Amino acid sequence: MVDVGSGMVAIGAGLAVGLAGLASGWAEKDIGSAAVGAVAENPKNFGRSLILTVIPETIVIFGLVIAFLLMGKI
Amino acid sequence: MDIVDAKVESRLSVEQIRKDIDETIIFLEAEISGAVESKNRINERIQELEVEKRGLEPLLSIPLDLEFYSDYTNITVFTGTVRTDPESALKKSVDRVEVFKAAGGSFVAVFVAKKEASEAQRILIQNGFTDVPLSKGKGSPDQVIKGIDEEEAALKKVFSEAEDKLSELRKKNQAFVLASEEQFSIDVEKAEFPLRIATTSRAFFAEGWIPAAQTDKVKAALAEKMGDNVFLEVVEVKNRKEPHGEHEADEEEVPVRTSEKRPLSLFSSFVELISTPKYNEIDPAMIIAITFPLFFGLMVGDVAYGILFMALGWLGLKKVRTDDWRMISTMLFFGGVWATIFGVFLFGEAFGLHFARQITGGTEELSWSFLLNMDLPHSIDLAGISIPLGVFSKLHDVNKLLLISVWIGIAHLFIGLGLGFANVAMRSGFVHAIKEKFSWVLILFGVALILPYMLAHLDNIMAMDFTSTAVLVPLAFVIIGIVLAIIGEGGTAILELPGLASNILSYTRLTAIGTSKAGLALAFNMIALEMLAPAGGAMLIFGIVIFMVGHLAVFILAVISAGMHGIRLHYVELFGKFYKGGGLKFSPLKIVRKYTSER
Repeated sequence: MVDVGSGMVAIGAGLAVGLAGLASGWAEKDIGSAAVGAVAENPKNFGRSLILTVIPETIVIFGLVIAFLLMGKI
Repeated sequence: MDIVDAKVESRLSVEQIRKDIDETIIFLEAEISGAVESKNRINERIQELEVEKRGLEPLLSIPLDLEFYSDYTNITVFTGTVRTDPESALKKSVDRVEVFKAAGGSFVAVFVAKKEASEAQRILIQNGFTDVPLSKGKGSPDQVIKGIDEEEAALKKVFSEAEDKLSELRKKNQAFVLASEEQFSIDVEKAEFPLRIATTSRAFFAEGWIPAAQTDKVKAALAEKMGDNVFLEVVEVKNRKEPHGEHEADEEEVPVRTSEKRPLSLFSSFVELISTPKYNEIDPAMIIAITFPLFFGLMVGDVAYGILFMALGWLGLKKVRTDDWRMISTMLFFGGVWATIFGVFLFGEAFGLHFARQITGGTEELSWSFLLNMDLPHSIDLAGISIPLGVFSKLHDVNKLLLISVWIGIAHLFIGLGLGFANVAMRSGFVHAIKEKFSWVLILFGVALILPYMLAHLDNIMAMDFTSTAVLVPLAFVIIGIVLAIIGEGGTAILELPGLASNILSYTRLTAIGTSKAGLALAFNMIALEMLAPAGGAMLIFGIVIFMVGHLAVFILAVISAGMHGIRLHYVELFGKFYKGGGLKFSPLKIVRKYTSER
């Protein structure tokens, strides 16, 4: 049985990843739709669009790092 | 003839083409136009037959032969479609009338005495009559349709024979057609070239760019071909300084030639994806070639995946020709090499399983040693030096790995700033470079110095002693750097400080992605090898399926996430420190032969 404190830390870690993931998704949605438009116009834009689309992925990576750090505390 | 790009076995010589072209063209023209003409004729006839057949179909359910629909002296025949049934109305107001209705359809055939024809027509029109003319013919409709079907089948056979003939011609002659087309477009280009340059009746004059290093070679080649009849003058070797003042506008842009030597040229496409480097900056292909596969390998860090990546990449580099796939193959091959190396020595794992036994908290975890029931070593001795097989565990040493990735990030950013320094020095001189880039080198150095002290006090930040030299010295570097940066770039430089911190932290993805993939692989391994496989029988097969599908998923994710994030670290974090881009690509005037050879 884990104590309440550890449970809270685990919830915190989950929230860090989950909320950061939501934020990434939210940011990527706009870029992604614009990117699809750009690719439809000229398939040569595919590479650049893909790169631009994953730029907000940094946010979720920060969340993941925080979660790792928190899990280390349990 | 519909010949498109095709692989040809051997190239044709120019001589051969010139010799055979007339004969072949005449032969092909006759053969093809004959076949195409008969194809078109047959197509037309088939369409006619189809129309006729469609017209006859409604008559099938009317028990009359075709000749009964026409050639009367006293009877008028109406055939066509109606919206509502006209029979009762016709019977009421026309004396002598006979109506035939097709089964299930709106088609009617009405026979009426000639003198009452106009009255009948009026009634029919009231019922929404549309005239459908019938083709002349003899016999019952189904016999006629049968005849049409037979004719059609015979025609189709002839048609497919013509097709076969064409495709045989295509196969036999495609190499020649492609080669001669290529040769002629080369001829046209050569003939048109004088139009693009200045010519007089006795001389012509061409102006263009050549790589400075090849000047002597070009001179020699021209002298060899034309002797004294050519005069070559090198107008100017462009320097790499940024143009200033009034010259700025009328400076012609210098084309940039990127490296054409393998393997560096393979990585040029990654730079091209952003944009061509400018003439006065360092081509970043080299740094991408070194660190991108390294990062990719670090994020994958698994022998099994590494070897698979290498194999796939090698295959891709051999076989594929399109730029996008070549880039992916380049990434897979070189990244795979590092993934294998890191997989063996740094992480010691294959398919997410460690080689050596893993015992945490008294329980043994899955490992290759455990699965194969033998003890694989933790390290091997090579010439007296102990080489470890697995220093870190991606899942258990996350904090250590995060720290390592931050240090890698700092090192990478130093490289970026160093390149930036070189670029600015080349463009605008040393003093500018000190102010614009060395300032940031100092700031980054300060951050790097203070980092270990901060990490030591991470648990209790309040205990940090801000008066100790461990804080003051790095702080001094940062402050000097900021002052220099403000002199160089203005007050906005302060706003870029948090950017530097987020750049450094961004490199933690090197660990984060490796760890998350290891977690995913672990989950599949546990389900497949720990829960399902030991039960035996059908469960064993199910376990193997889960293992394969799971690892395929991790494998594909590895390509996408490790590849995308690896290249992104270069594009966003690294390029931000030095790269401008927007140069003009050097595209030399040259003849590319694919299907022909000059021998």
